[in-house]
Amino acid sequence: MNSNQTIGAETDKALLVFKQVSKEYASGEKRLMILEGLDFSLQNGSSVAITGKSGSGKSTMLNLAGGLDIPTSGSVVFLGRNLAGMGDRELSAFRNRHIGFVFQSHILLDDFSALENVCIPSLIHGEPLPVVRDRASRLLSRVGLEDRINHFPQKLSGGERQRVAICRALINNPPLIIADEPTGSLDEEAASHIENLLMDMVREEGKTLLLVTHDMQFAKRCGSVYLLHNRNIEELS
Amino acid sequence: MRLVSTYWLYRRLLFPPVGFTVKRRRLVSSTTLIALVMVPLILALLFMDGMMGGITDKYIMLQDGHIQIHTPKILFTGDEEVQKIDNRILKADYVTEGFGILYSQKNTVEVRIKGVDVSYFNSARLSQFTTEGGILERTGNLMPVMISSSSAKDLGVGLGDRLAVLIVPDMGEAAVRPLFTQVTTIFDSGYYQLDTGLIFMDIKDTIKLFPAASSARTELLVDSRDLDSIDEVLDSLSEKLSNPYRFSTWDAYNRSVYENFITSRQVILMVFLMIILVASVYVSSITGEIIQDDRQSIATLKAMGAGNPLIRRAYFHVSLSITVFGVAIGTGVGLLFGTRLSELMTFLSNSGLPGLQYYLLDFPLTVSWGDIGLVAFSMMVLSSITVLFALKRIGKISPLELLQQS
Repeated sequence: MNSNQTIGAETDKALLVFKQVSKEYASGEKRLMILEGLDFSLQNGSSVAITGKSGSGKSTMLNLAGGLDIPTSGSVVFLGRNLAGMGDRELSAFRNRHIGFVFQSHILLDDFSALENVCIPSLIHGEPLPVVRDRASRLLSRVGLEDRINHFPQKLSGGERQRVAICRALINNPPLIIADEPTGSLDEEAASHIENLLMDMVREEGKTLLLVTHDMQFAKRCGSVYLLHNRNIEELS
Repeated sequence: MRLVSTYWLYRRLLFPPVGFTVKRRRLVSSTTLIALVMVPLILALLFMDGMMGGITDKYIMLQDGHIQIHTPKILFTGDEEVQKIDNRILKADYVTEGFGILYSQKNTVEVRIKGVDVSYFNSARLSQFTTEGGILERTGNLMPVMISSSSAKDLGVGLGDRLAVLIVPDMGEAAVRPLFTQVTTIFDSGYYQLDTGLIFMDIKDTIKLFPAASSARTELLVDSRDLDSIDEVLDSLSEKLSNPYRFSTWDAYNRSVYENFITSRQVILMVFLMIILVASVYVSSITGEIIQDDRQSIATLKAMGAGNPLIRRAYFHVSLSITVFGVAIGTGVGLLFGTRLSELMTFLSNSGLPGLQYYLLDFPLTVSWGDIGLVAFSMMVLSSITVLFALKRIGKISPLELLQQS
């Protein structure tokens, strides 16, 4: 990949830009390079899938995009701001307002009901509970969980939990949804349902989607598909 | 805004939903443990204050009064006379005091002999002890004497029995001579240390037995509500009494007892502080345990944009609430049990537990709200400080770590 050329087209209009991003992890004396000199940009309103073998750095890339991790070198710029330059509090607020996460293992809080789990990002933002509850109820109804809003995660199926996680990602109306293997732990039927739901919700809400998946069929539903290999990224035609 | 953003998390941490038995049990057991620490502290505080107050009252009422005016002159013929000088004074009694040895066929007892008029025993003084027999009632030619039940037991005498008294003369040239008395009254103040060395006789007799000027004095009782202004009462007495009499107060008279009380109280409060410190460390370790168990939830919250201050605030309020609940329950239960302390002491005494002669078996319940507040406040402040160390762990939890695990 030519380092002067940023994959994903015009960087000046981009929502998210990776500039010469490298990431390495230290394991004792050994240093493991995961990403090296990666350039990438994500346009507002687009949907992008990242694929690659296990250990190719897909999740690392998502963590960097979501401000959960910082690059060893280079910069990750979101709406013109370098994430590495933000303090802990600012970065937390940024994640809360601008990014919705959907993880493979849905990671809901066990002692909060489905409705409460969806409410959490808005409550963190400090919005009043009645307003948030109303919005969360509507979102849960849209994904067909109106009868399950007061159920706790352990009483929900894997697919239902993932639907709750999608609603939670959307509650604060963030511009970017980051989904890391959202169907990875589901059976075929549930996976297909979640795929449709995620793609429909993202499209209807006008969100930008950054998706990591092993499933090429799912990846192909996005506007563009990229492959991570040899510590860098390339677009698949 | 901050309160709203923390309250939902705080509420759920403090009141886990039905089905989360382990979390609920841990919160309940933590609260119970703090309450269990508080109960003995409150009981000890009530016991200490009640005991000190009770013993002090008995010394004041039966032995020294609040104020002593050292003069052989009878200054007041009635209580109204002294109240005209200062209405904070309730009672004035002319008394004499000397020392002697009681002899019976069985034993001897060294005593302080206090000569008083029967009017000395007003309702306040009578409430300090129980009596058998008429108070210093003269039934024959023998001098009536009022001895304590412990002395009566040591001497092996009862009501109506004769007792020889060897007076220690209060004037150098007087001869030592034994005299016969009759036990007309047996009293029991409930405090062995005071009872065992004190007898009362009629002042008409003791004036003859102890003629020295130094043996006579006037004892004054001050209204209990005005005990803090005894110095002012002393000032008004010195101002209004024509002669420059020598005054003393009960604490000066019993300096060693008084100072022992103060020292014991300070030592006990220090011990309390140590116990509270240990309990606070426990609160901190419980908070640390809760944080450790909630590691995944905390990482998830961070991924969703919750900053360290928000999460720390919620956990801090949870630990503070556990402490407040524990302290409140423990204080309530302690106060409840405290009302039964006298019964407990009597039960222990009846069961033959040794060493109880140094305690009052019946004492008034004195609730020192200031001290209880101090203990409760110290508990909350110390646990709040120690919890801050546990809360540091929150900062070390990374959402990334959680996602890598998942």
